[in-house]
Amino acid sequence: MQRKLPLTIVLLTGIFGAVAFFVPHGAIRSVDSVFRNDVQRIIAAFSLVLGVGSIVQHHLIKIQRKATFWQYSWITLIGLLLTAIIGVFGGIDPNRPGILPTHIGSFSFHIQTIYSNMMVPLAATMFSLLAFFMSSAAYRAFRARNLEATLLLAAAFILMLGAVPLGRTIHRELPAFAEWILAVPNTASKRGILFGVELGVFATSLKIVLGIERGWLGGGGGK
Amino acid sequence: MTPQDSAARPNLWTRLQAIDRRWIYLVIWIVVMVPLLFPFPIKPKPTTPVEKLFSYIDTMPAGKALVISVDFTPDTRAELQPMIVALLRHAFATGRPVGVLAMAVYGLGLGEEALSQVTAEFNAHATTHEDSVINGEDYVFWGWTTPPLTVLLGMGERIANVFPVDYYGARTESLPIMRDLRNYDDVGVLVTVAASAMPRSWIVYGQTQFGVHLGCGITAVSAADFYPYVNSGQFVGMLAGMKGAAEYEQLVMERMAKNKMDWGLRNRGTEAMSSQTSAHLAIMAFIIIGNIGYFATRRRKS
Repeated sequence: MQRKLPLTIVLLTGIFGAVAFFVPHGAIRSVDSVFRNDVQRIIAAFSLVLGVGSIVQHHLIKIQRKATFWQYSWITLIGLLLTAIIGVFGGIDPNRPGILPTHIGSFSFHIQTIYSNMMVPLAATMFSLLAFFMSSAAYRAFRARNLEATLLLAAAFILMLGAVPLGRTIHRELPAFAEWILAVPNTASKRGILFGVELGVFATSLKIVLGIERGWLGGGGGK
Repeated sequence: MTPQDSAARPNLWTRLQAIDRRWIYLVIWIVVMVPLLFPFPIKPKPTTPVEKLFSYIDTMPAGKALVISVDFTPDTRAELQPMIVALLRHAFATGRPVGVLAMAVYGLGLGEEALSQVTAEFNAHATTHEDSVINGEDYVFWGWTTPPLTVLLGMGERIANVFPVDYYGARTESLPIMRDLRNYDDVGVLVTVAASAMPRSWIVYGQTQFGVHLGCGITAVSAADFYPYVNSGQFVGMLAGMKGAAEYEQLVMERMAKNKMDWGLRNRGTEAMSSQTSAHLAIMAFIIIGNIGYFATRRRKS
């Protein structure tokens, strides 16, 4: 029963989801609307609770066991709690504060201020490190070792030049040629890959709906 | 010096092959930072996908809305935020109703930031109520809700059902703009600005079932993934990377100048072009040096 019930739910909802997409009958549409607007939102709300619960539990265990870098877990937990309190009680619009004051004189700790001044620079910093790693990798690994690698190198050069305004200065038609590479040979290969990927997604979805693939039930493995 | 000593001592190319990566990091840091602090003027010429999106929005029937879906997170803000700003400027300069939503929860702050910036720019130059850009009348920020499927399909039926309250907590139904913005039928084009596969989901659910016209703004690295959809016409146009943003900014500036709105606004995408150009050239120089070193070392070994 523990396995049969979830498998039956997935089978029924999976088939219904596919039918609702193709059959525009009023009754089906209204049931589908209830599924999408109510049932899915309730499930999503539970997943949010599970997510928060999981991260709190994970870090509490780390602190309890004094695992490696356990001190940082305090930062995560305190950060989570503080931003949640500020976000929930401090209001969304800085001009219309909520029940929690988010300004002390000119110092603001409004959720948007925290987001713009902490979240954005932190995330942007992490992402910009990519430029350094990419340059180092290009220097060390991008070699014209054989014909395929040479072709790749040539295409990369044309695209990089085409992607900056300098390309036009070198040759008027260079950006157009770079665009042609993206629009024609790239599109042709991408379409082939996409067809393969989508067929794979379809086959996997079908296996899940029909209960052949059961890895999502936990306990590992397919069957 | 014996011939053996000379053969054992690494020459310039061998040493360059084994250069400490921190030197490469330093060069990249310099070529990115210096043009950011002292930019050299670059005016990018719009490419076809950018021009297509611009003219589609520019010539949409009056009253049709531009909807912007903020589907990216702060890590790609430098590349994608200029697109949102340019799209908002274009819409407000041509009097289009605007709806903004976020498919990623982190997109909320980015949407709010862009809206605050652009509405402040327009309201600073407004002299009448008609010139002003007012929340609930000229634009609506629906915010974020989950799961994505509810949004993608639900907006085709009734937007107010998907977003009963807007980002600021007002009842969506009560906003004047929502009288003519009921579902996808009232949307001229929906532009998804993303650093993920979300534009594909907009095609699969929003366009296939409801026929909504779509455009996209994506990071340069994922441009190749979306060209098939531009070629097939599923996207009316596309802004690819910071260059795409800069090209769109140029078109919007020209449009605003034509509408006597030459306010000397900053264009972050265009400003960053000099930095991006230098970085690209530096990477190309690295590849050339690396390859010369590779062949020189190989010849020496053989």
